[in-house]
Amino acid sequence: MIRFFLHGLPALLIVAIAVAFFNETRLSSDKKNEMTIGSIAEPSMLNPIQQADAAASDVGGMIFNGLLKYSADLEITTDLAKSFTLSQHTTIFFDDPKTVPGAMGKLFFMRGRWADWKLTDVRQDGSSLVLTFSEPGMAASQEILGLFDAKTLIPSTIIRVDLEGKAVETLKAWRATETGARAVRDWVESDAAFEVTAVGDPAPVVKDLQDFLAGRTQKGTVTVGDVLPFLAEPIVDFTLRDDVKWHDGAPFTSADVVFTYRAIMDDAVASPRKPDFLYIQAVETPDPHTVRVVYRKPYSPALQSWMIGLLPSHLLEGKSPEWWAQNFNRNPIGTGPFKFSEWKTNEYVRLVRNPDYFGAPGPWLDSMVYRVLSDQLSLRLAFETRQIDFWGVDPWAVSEFQKDKRFDLFSYPSSSYSYVGWNLKRPIFQDERVRRALAHAVNVPEMIKYILYGYGVQSTGIFLPQMWFFNPDVKPIPYDVEKARQLLAEAGWKPGADGILTKDGQRFTFTIITNNGTEVRRDIATLIQDNFRQIGIEVKIELYEWAVFLKNFINKGDFDAMVLGWALGPDYDQYQIWHSSQNNPEQLNVVGYKNPEVDKLLVDIRQEYNRDKIIEMAGKLQSIIYKDQPYLFLFVPQGTSVLWKDSYRIRRPDGKGGWIDSPVEMTKAGWSYYSEWFYRPEYADKLPR
Amino acid sequence: MLNFIIRRLAISVVLAFLISLISFFIITLTPGSPYPWGELNPKITPQVKEAFKKKFHLDRPLIEQYWLNMRDLFNGNLKSIKDDRPVLQKIGERLPATISLNVLAAVISLSFGLALGVYAAKHAGKTPDLLTSILAFIFIAMPGFWISYLIVIGLVRFTDVPILGTQSYGVIFTNSASLWLDRFWHIALPAVVLSIGGIAVQSRFIRASMIETLREDYIRTARAKGLEPDTVFFKHALRNSIRPLITGIGGLLPGLIGGSVIIETIFAYPGLGRLGYEAVLERDYPTLVAINFIVAALILLGNLISDVLYAVVDPRVRLE
Amino acid sequence: MTTTASTASSAEVADLPLLLESPGRRMWRRFLKNPVGVTSSIVIVLFFTVALVMGICSMLGIYFPYNPNTTELTQKLLPPSAAHWLGTDNLGRDVLSRLLNGSYISLTVGFVAVAVSLFIGVTVGAISGYFGGWIDNIIMRVVDAILCFPSFFLILTAVALLGPNIMNIIVVIGLVSWTGTARLVRAEFLTLRETEYVRAAKALGIRTPGIIFRHILPNAAAPIIVTAVVGIPDAILTEAGLSFLGFGVQPPQATWGNIISDGKTYLLDAWWLIVFPGMAIFIAALAFYLAGDALRQAAESRSERK
Repeated sequence: MIRFFLHGLPALLIVAIAVAFFNETRLSSDKKNEMTIGSIAEPSMLNPIQQADAAASDVGGMIFNGLLKYSADLEITTDLAKSFTLSQHTTIFFDDPKTVPGAMGKLFFMRGRWADWKLTDVRQDGSSLVLTFSEPGMAASQEILGLFDAKTLIPSTIIRVDLEGKAVETLKAWRATETGARAVRDWVESDAAFEVTAVGDPAPVVKDLQDFLAGRTQKGTVTVGDVLPFLAEPIVDFTLRDDVKWHDGAPFTSADVVFTYRAIMDDAVASPRKPDFLYIQAVETPDPHTVRVVYRKPYSPALQSWMIGLLPSHLLEGKSPEWWAQNFNRNPIGTGPFKFSEWKTNEYVRLVRNPDYFGAPGPWLDSMVYRVLSDQLSLRLAFETRQIDFWGVDPWAVSEFQKDKRFDLFSYPSSSYSYVGWNLKRPIFQDERVRRALAHAVNVPEMIKYILYGYGVQSTGIFLPQMWFFNPDVKPIPYDVEKARQLLAEAGWKPGADGILTKDGQRFTFTIITNNGTEVRRDIATLIQDNFRQIGIEVKIELYEWAVFLKNFINKGDFDAMVLGWALGPDYDQYQIWHSSQNNPEQLNVVGYKNPEVDKLLVDIRQEYNRDKIIEMAGKLQSIIYKDQPYLFLFVPQGTSVLWKDSYRIRRPDGKGGWIDSPVEMTKAGWSYYSEWFYRPEYADKLPR
Repeated sequence: MLNFIIRRLAISVVLAFLISLISFFIITLTPGSPYPWGELNPKITPQVKEAFKKKFHLDRPLIEQYWLNMRDLFNGNLKSIKDDRPVLQKIGERLPATISLNVLAAVISLSFGLALGVYAAKHAGKTPDLLTSILAFIFIAMPGFWISYLIVIGLVRFTDVPILGTQSYGVIFTNSASLWLDRFWHIALPAVVLSIGGIAVQSRFIRASMIETLREDYIRTARAKGLEPDTVFFKHALRNSIRPLITGIGGLLPGLIGGSVIIETIFAYPGLGRLGYEAVLERDYPTLVAINFIVAALILLGNLISDVLYAVVDPRVRLE
Repeated sequence: MTTTASTASSAEVADLPLLLESPGRRMWRRFLKNPVGVTSSIVIVLFFTVALVMGICSMLGIYFPYNPNTTELTQKLLPPSAAHWLGTDNLGRDVLSRLLNGSYISLTVGFVAVAVSLFIGVTVGAISGYFGGWIDNIIMRVVDAILCFPSFFLILTAVALLGPNIMNIIVVIGLVSWTGTARLVRAEFLTLRETEYVRAAKALGIRTPGIIFRHILPNAAAPIIVTAVVGIPDAILTEAGLSFLGFGVQPPQATWGNIISDGKTYLLDAWWLIVFPGMAIFIAALAFYLAGDALRQAAESRSERK
């Protein structure tokens, strides 16, 4: 017995491991008709309105659909919606109903200009004039307002009511009792606040509201907000596809759209997407396949927000968010090409083909596996042993893979850029010449060459080169040490005894902070330290754990300079990052950038729907901010993915009833844009001709 | 003895709470806040953050947070901040992988440790003893992550054999034996690395214990009676020397569910170690509270079991 | 088992204090006879000299063969060659220079952390063992409780709490590793305080500190030294593990652990980034463990008698 333990057990273990090893070397090389994608990050949950991580949106993108989506060229196109139209109602208030017909007459007289204004209809509604435009925006309405006699016009005022909960009921109750107050519009802002628009003098409405609240136990405060010359209410009309089914077989209807919207706005649901939908006044459903969304004011980025994956109302209606978290969020039902099948934490998420997909007969693959591994090295090990089919490769490994004939590589500009942010509240960074000098002193091309192994382009400001509103005329600040020295000398910085620049007895020395765990950022900091030493600037580097980095330094704005990156959606709205009002603790303008011209552009661009004008404004934004150099804009890295050569092909519909067959190809939206149409050549006989 | 057990249990419960309280304070005092959506997200308003803090009691005083967390832990409602799922469920789904890995590692280190230790003791003072002891120290001195990497790279570079996770992916298994061998292989590799240090420690322990026992009078008596030296060695000496080994089993208990972050990271193994490590990085306080409490409780329970076993194996010991 | 053995030896020595050489001398003589012990001590002395020289040099701003923190991007990830004996890392820094420079930090972490843990462990153990009774009881319960902390997570969070600089890492490693020493010292004291000569000393009216420092501690020195020697590689390995997870000593300062941790991404193509620093840790740790074992053997009387 004891001798068995002594010799037998160790021998048995050795034999077992040897046999297992032998088994591994002989594993069948036949592959399942599936694709395994490797990633370091695991989805936090699979619920489009609650998740906020990239991994979740990658996986969720296969399961859920939005009304709209990005095309392969990153333009907006339809998904669950068959089509959509934009329009706007502008309501102008007059002091007397009798003056309205005269104003209408003036407009009919100017009919020749309607096309420029995109004006399609004019009608009277009591003492107000309602204009209908085919394109939302403020410019045309303002121009028309200028035609009328200012004395006859009445502005409207927004009145905000903050409560201790139950805004919906309070608003309803007040509406029922409302007597003579001239309040034309109202909407619920959150569970504890609603807003009312009063025409003319807001005082009676305010008094009415205060009296009403005084008569209730519920406490609240009434505040008078912005005064508006007219009400501009953009409208989006969606016509939905009628051939879409949820994965459980129930039909997809407009009720699901309304449900998703309400769930996002529900304060019981912690949704990071809430701010996207704040400007909505109402979501209406005239019939099961039509949805009308009315906005309170022009906010053009709002259209993108309808790319959010929609939730099945028939499963979630009436359930608590706790129920979602434990049931739906780990076992989601969507409308997408793949159905959720299995999730093993820290291992994989498995999706299987949805045979009832509205894009049928696709997808071609039986399943998609999203495999979670611990780091870049393990991803590479898994890839080389054919355990994953694809992953996003670090730049350094790309150079190794390129030499290898067994692989196909796909490179595309990533949707992020890296930068060094200067704390503009620190005196040393307040001189624009100094910031330009610092930009001249850093050898960005070399950085790209050695940190990114050439896989990246120099960043020229806040937008990414692949976006349609990117301004190609902004040229990068070149590496020029002489120019840097000269600019610094102009700004009064002279080399001191120890070679370090000084001005008024102060040495030019500061600390760059960044988070640990991101090698690229650590390397950037190290290189910048080296670059600046050459022009006599002393830099210290400090690395912190991500949570500490944010809490102690970034959110408090307590740093000299920091290395960070922005990952951006294809969205031109960067109000939160650059507007001077966004400089408080925990807000995103952490460097303290302030430029009145930029502030105005940031507000205006949000209200602009015209593509050409957006391009123009975005271009201006980009060039002004780049000139000011609040950041030292470094580079936009290229993302690269690797596949085993010829392991997959694409067969996708050409939109005319036929099929396009091609090798896996690159699009602006990444290599995996067509992943629902991927197939394995060895299973090609399953495909339609 | 029953008295002893009851008293020790009571002390252990108090201790476990104390330990979890202290570790909770250390964790929450650490800079950084739990925020699953990433702080630098332009889309998140302060209101959303407030609602979130309220939901997980992060707006309360620390001691109250601790109390609420413990209460929820015991009625099973404790939710992870990261994904809002019950913490016990999250821990539970890691258990099969964690336990199978650690049991195999324990079996390997015990069996090889025993064999090596006995071998060394049999040749005490001679070259084989010296060699095994040097081997044991080589095992202890190798950094775990270093040797793992050498193994991993060697295997991938020279054999193309999959090594990560709990099984192979995308492969059509020809039979179920192949599938089970595949799974065993994925446990065996990290288990071997995990057990390297254990083998060394156990072998030293057994050797010392054996040499000690061989000097005892009853062994001399047995030899003097003319019993076969092998019989004396394996039957009399070995039996008595593995007593401390048996009492050490209690000490294995926490190890069975505790994990090694580093080994699990390298082998992409879904164990409890990584869960805890990720929870530290994400400041997922509820998950950490639960893990710390459970691990502390298991260590205490393990100690108790060791003491009781000690009394059971060795009748001379009395528990008071 | 070891404790009883060494107790016996101390007792014997106490009986014949004048006829035999002092226990320290005898231990040393035996240690020198052990080839394993001597070899490993030579290795330790070598490491120690290198670390000391590198430490002094880096304070003076002299570096060998290159500045360990100078990046030379054109020279990145070069395999070992005549110019760079151990190759270069991903930023073109010379691995040999970093290894040599890192040895001074890694050994400092080992020595100082052990010093911290010894100081606490011996103090606590001595108090507990010498006084016994309820003091002993309370202290031992506290030690039990500390042993129940999930120590690696405790170190992780504590380092995150205090900030990852060298001093904090040393202190934290020291703070969580003293319990073993405390238990050992307590056990020694428990037996030693009952010996004839301690009783005699007490009877002669020698004060408590005098008894502890003059009479008990020297006799407990051997096992304490052994734990200390074995504790050093433990601390070095813990620091390496912390570095591996990104909680170690801050870059650009090299330590053996963070050279490996920085290099792990490039592992498949640049084996030299992990093999050499790993060897350094391994050889240093092995030398300490073997030396510790040799010391232990030398301190035991029975092993010689056999």
